Amino acid sequence: MWIGVVAVLLAGVVATNVAVLRLNMKLDRLGQERADLKAQTATLSSQLSSAASAPLIQSMAAKRLGWVQATSDQTTYFTLHP
Amino acid sequence: MNRLVNRRIRLFLAGLMIAFAGLVVRAVWLQGVRAASLSQLGQTQHREVVTVPADRGTIYDRTGVELGLGERATTVYANPMQITNPERAAVAVERTLGLDANRLYKTLGDRSRGFVYVERQADPAQADALRRMKLAGFGFYPEERRTYPQRSVAAQVLGYVGIDGTGLSGLELQYDRDLSGRAGQETVVKDPGGNVIDIQSQRPEVPGKAVYLTVDHSIQANAEEVLRETVHKWSAKSASAIVLDPRTGAILAMAVQPGYDANRYPSAPHDLQRNRTVTDTYEPGSTFKLITVAGALSEGLVSPSTRFTLPYQLHVADRVIHDAEKRGTVNYSVGQILAHSSNIGAITLAEMLGRTRLNDWIGRFGFGHTTGIDFPGESPGIVLPPEKWSGSTIGNVPIGQGIAVTPVQMAAAYAAIANGGVWSRPHLVDHVAGGARPSLHRHRLVSRRIADQLMLMLKDVVAEGTGQYAAIPGYQVAGKTGTAQKPDSRGGYATGRYVASFVGAVPASRPRLVVLVTVDEPRGAIFGGVVAAPAFQQIARFDLQYLEVPPDGAPGYRG
Repeated sequence: MWIGVVAVLLAGVVATNVAVLRLNMKLDRLGQERADLKAQTATLSSQLSSAASAPLIQSMAAKRLGWVQATSDQTTYFTLHP
Repeated sequence: MNRLVNRRIRLFLAGLMIAFAGLVVRAVWLQGVRAASLSQLGQTQHREVVTVPADRGTIYDRTGVELGLGERATTVYANPMQITNPERAAVAVERTLGLDANRLYKTLGDRSRGFVYVERQADPAQADALRRMKLAGFGFYPEERRTYPQRSVAAQVLGYVGIDGTGLSGLELQYDRDLSGRAGQETVVKDPGGNVIDIQSQRPEVPGKAVYLTVDHSIQANAEEVLRETVHKWSAKSASAIVLDPRTGAILAMAVQPGYDANRYPSAPHDLQRNRTVTDTYEPGSTFKLITVAGALSEGLVSPSTRFTLPYQLHVADRVIHDAEKRGTVNYSVGQILAHSSNIGAITLAEMLGRTRLNDWIGRFGFGHTTGIDFPGESPGIVLPPEKWSGSTIGNVPIGQGIAVTPVQMAAAYAAIANGGVWSRPHLVDHVAGGARPSLHRHRLVSRRIADQLMLMLKDVVAEGTGQYAAIPGYQVAGKTGTAQKPDSRGGYATGRYVASFVGAVPASRPRLVVLVTVDEPRGAIFGGVVAAPAFQQIARFDLQYLEVPPDGAPGYRG
């Protein structure tokens, strides 16, 4: 009887250890994935910042579409009264 | 027969006991005497302390655009002692990382070394390709690589970060403590395959704080573009510009040309990497006359309408000083002295002030002292103390010769006049994430009445004086031209080498911007009104439109 109980307990301990080991390995893998995703986010942020840069867009608009920046005297301002 | 068997059994037992005793002794030796060293050896084989690098804070411009940020990179290293086939390893590295195999072969084949860097901060994808080859003796760890997505925009202002992630110049150096954060540490247990099976202790990394600048990347890029064209047009050595908000001292642009791509700082000449608007000085020439006039007005010696009869030239000690353009004797008001940039007029006012009071006003406007701008390596300029003045100094200093100032000092002085006489410390950083906005450092230089009088005079400079090319349609512009011969190494002045400058405020009725432009050694023309004023006009015109500053009803374009 007691031999059976001890065997079950031992099997339980081993199973728990294996489960903890697997979880630790999964944790490590997820940590690495997190680091990779952070790296990708940083790279994409950098690319986005370069691509969305106003001077770059302005220069492309001028070169490809022939657009020019409106000058201050071509801009009309209204004063709104409540 | 039985005795023989018993004897053999006893011998066998004795042998077993001796063997057992040997095992016990060995166990005591291993677990007692050598326990500590063996335990340590075992731990080093499966336990590892891993440094988790902290992400460096991002630098943003005033609109939230990233100017400097961290990208993940992988550093590849090797232990040549563990590399069995250096030739194969070198070829593999050449294929994946693109490095020269011949040079690597020597390094990887040097078995006297236990550690060599193959490549610092390599591209992670390329490093992964090498990792997948599972070559013995190679190791990998993550590092952060600083990148500047706007490339050359504000490169001299941002500075750069060294290979170890430490700020080495510019704002990267000035705010290194905030930007760098603190690396974390993990103690992990690995199985023989190198997989982490347990994390024994962990200290999380603290990422660096983001830094938000007052600089606007559009205004900065435009200023750089205008300067690039100006340098090209006048075959100048260099040019610089500052755009600041006179109400707060916030710098919207600080541009120097020629520039360089901030991502390639190691290959850029050191000369190009300096933010000259803060670190370098120049003789300001006529833009300095504002200080002389401000002093004379503030001391109550003259009013804007006080008139002087001014000859073309004047003897001051052993020097003969004359105005820039040949003319007869004239009768100028103080305002006209400034509008026509008369050297003789400015010296006349300075002689009324005297050397002590003139020197006091120079100091009060911040010349000879650093402004305290949040940028490393600021120069205080060069101001001769009155006791060291020669007889002719009173003929030089009031017209901006024999004195050296930084562009940021000059821009701040004009900003004070544009701000009703209140000087605000120029600054580049609005705030650091998680921190409060630093309080503004301000003090009054001249009364509002004097500031208003000076602004009226400066408007005349653009309306009818030497600065007409600075006029902007629809806006009133107040400013001053400057043309100064450059000093040479023998204590005299170099022939044909000038600094042309213009500094002005716009809209003059309620100034939102102060823009200073200096052009170093222009060719073909040398005058600030011809070389620098048009650059001022282009920069300010863009900025006014971009910032949606309504016109203040100036008469039509005079340029």
